[in-house]
Amino acid sequence: MKILLLLGYWILVIIMGLLYMGIARKVTARIQNRYGPPFYQAFLDVLKLFSKRETASHGVMHSLGPVIAFAGISTTLLFLPLGKGAPVLHFQGDLFVFLYLIVIGPLGMALGAGESNNPNATIGIARALSLMLGYEIILFMATLPVFVHFKTASIYEVILNQGAFPNWAGIKFPLSMLGGLIALQGLLGEKPFDQPIAPHEIASGPTVEYGGKYLGLLQLWHAVAIIVETGLFIDVFFGPQNILWFFLGTFIVFMLSVVINAVMPRFRIEQAIRFYWGVPLLLVVLGILQYYLWR
Amino acid sequence: MKMEEKVVEELKNILGNLGEVWIQREKRVYAKVPKNLVLPLLAFLKDKGFHQLTAITCVDWLKKGKFELIYNLFSLNYEGVHVFIKTELERDKETMPSAIEIFPMAFDYEREIHEMFGIVFEGHPRLDNFILEDWDGPPPMRKDFDTAKYVEEKYGVKDYAEELWRRREQPYREEKDE
Amino acid sequence: MGLFKISQGRSLWMVHFCTGCGAVEMPPTMTSRFDMERFGVAPMATPRQADVLLITGYLTVKTLKRVIMVYEQMPTPKYVIGFGSCTVNGGIYWDSYNVIKNLELYIPVDLYIFGCMPRPESIIDAFLKLRKMIEEGKANKWKDYIERYDWYKQNQAKLFDVNKWRVQK
Repeated sequence: MKILLLLGYWILVIIMGLLYMGIARKVTARIQNRYGPPFYQAFLDVLKLFSKRETASHGVMHSLGPVIAFAGISTTLLFLPLGKGAPVLHFQGDLFVFLYLIVIGPLGMALGAGESNNPNATIGIARALSLMLGYEIILFMATLPVFVHFKTASIYEVILNQGAFPNWAGIKFPLSMLGGLIALQGLLGEKPFDQPIAPHEIASGPTVEYGGKYLGLLQLWHAVAIIVETGLFIDVFFGPQNILWFFLGTFIVFMLSVVINAVMPRFRIEQAIRFYWGVPLLLVVLGILQYYLWR
Repeated sequence: MKMEEKVVEELKNILGNLGEVWIQREKRVYAKVPKNLVLPLLAFLKDKGFHQLTAITCVDWLKKGKFELIYNLFSLNYEGVHVFIKTELERDKETMPSAIEIFPMAFDYEREIHEMFGIVFEGHPRLDNFILEDWDGPPPMRKDFDTAKYVEEKYGVKDYAEELWRRREQPYREEKDE
Repeated sequence: MGLFKISQGRSLWMVHFCTGCGAVEMPPTMTSRFDMERFGVAPMATPRQADVLLITGYLTVKTLKRVIMVYEQMPTPKYVIGFGSCTVNGGIYWDSYNVIKNLELYIPVDLYIFGCMPRPESIIDAFLKLRKMIEEGKANKWKDYIERYDWYKQNQAKLFDVNKWRVQK
């Protein structure tokens, strides 16, 4: 019985993620003054990709890369509470486990992309791992004052300890919320921080040798990653919600980052890291200072 | 005095009787010299300020049996006057010294002329296939190269109208019984 | 399965490989005026992620070698669309010594678009026809390449050395 619930939860997140990706393409198209693909386009893409046969193989590790990435993000789902409902696993300190498990995605891709003999893949992975130097610090320091204020290190208890509307952590710590929002743009891989993918410069980076079923797995990974990352943001800063309000909140946050994605160009990698260690770092440090001043 | 006439004066002073100099139209000065005077003339004009070799062209005179090489020089100091230096070579018998030491940009022009016409430039480090990879025929820009015959032999196509008739009569793929 | 065929027809990803002078018609088709993405067609960076190869324009022997390298890297099922008159019979280069005349001898072609250049409306019409062909199951030329591989290699060997894929510097 519990296994069926788990499977249903997994499939619900995959479906919502693919729906968000399709609507993102439609919104981008409307910003560019044209009609876009239908909103269910991501489902058609994934179905088409799973019906292809590859022509060449680069070894076992190359094939295992997307599997490791998808397995990592699916395990992170076990710790994500959807609003008020309890997650499958929760214990003290699961924030750190969560932040570690998010990293397994790019790490699996790095292992797999290193096996393909393509220099584009190596450049893409180097950029992805060095971009992490930027946003991981900001993300962790943005969530730090919230967790210290509520005296817990578990995401579920942070949600329960926040009350109704005026007691949200986002309103008590606005600077940290802004810093977290900027870190989210890099975590999701949207412009101006999509150096790892960068289709025009490095021929789509680490996914350059993946076609067919592997690319389908990578699309599913991206779909689940959208829900997980925006879900973490909504959970930590916006208190306990009904499941419908939770999905509405993730939708609004994701559409905000899609709108920024549609109008901005791409930074160079050193500009991106230097930017992250400038204004956002200042914002989150001021957020931590604010907690100590108000204690 | 206009700029072209100044250039013509200088060329006539240095050449004397060895070559002809004339003005073709406004801002175009031609000089025709024998083969062994080309490189010294190029060096002289480069010292005078003609710093850019714009092109080297080749014309195939089939009835006379000669190749004619034309060097096109340009300078910003002379108000847009182009100087053309012409020489003539015997067809398939003479080779030409390369102009790479004076103008390094002649590397690509000479490689292309060798591929298209067959003229050998002495002192050029790399004279191999440039644009036509895997080429196995005669140099294609000569006037005695029969394009239609070559196309028919290599691609199996003789004429556009005939090709259409051929394709209409025979199916390109045999129908298989499923 | 029917669902797979429907989704293959509605999400065609093309290789962004602009061959000859017909490539000038690709940006108008992709951008906001004649939008191609509303039919699911998107340009992809590498051949390993794409389904459709558009041969836009004339092919010299030098480019044909690279096109065949790209074609063999695409995962099956894959489709080829010949774009412009030069793929049909050589176009305006019908008596040139370096342009191939009959593309069918080297890679299998599903669909031809006539014109020099075709308008973006013709290109979109071709994608819709390709979608209909896929749903009816008629776009099977990629199997022909596998079945008659030796015949294609024999035709290619008349133009260049098939065993040496080393590209000239």
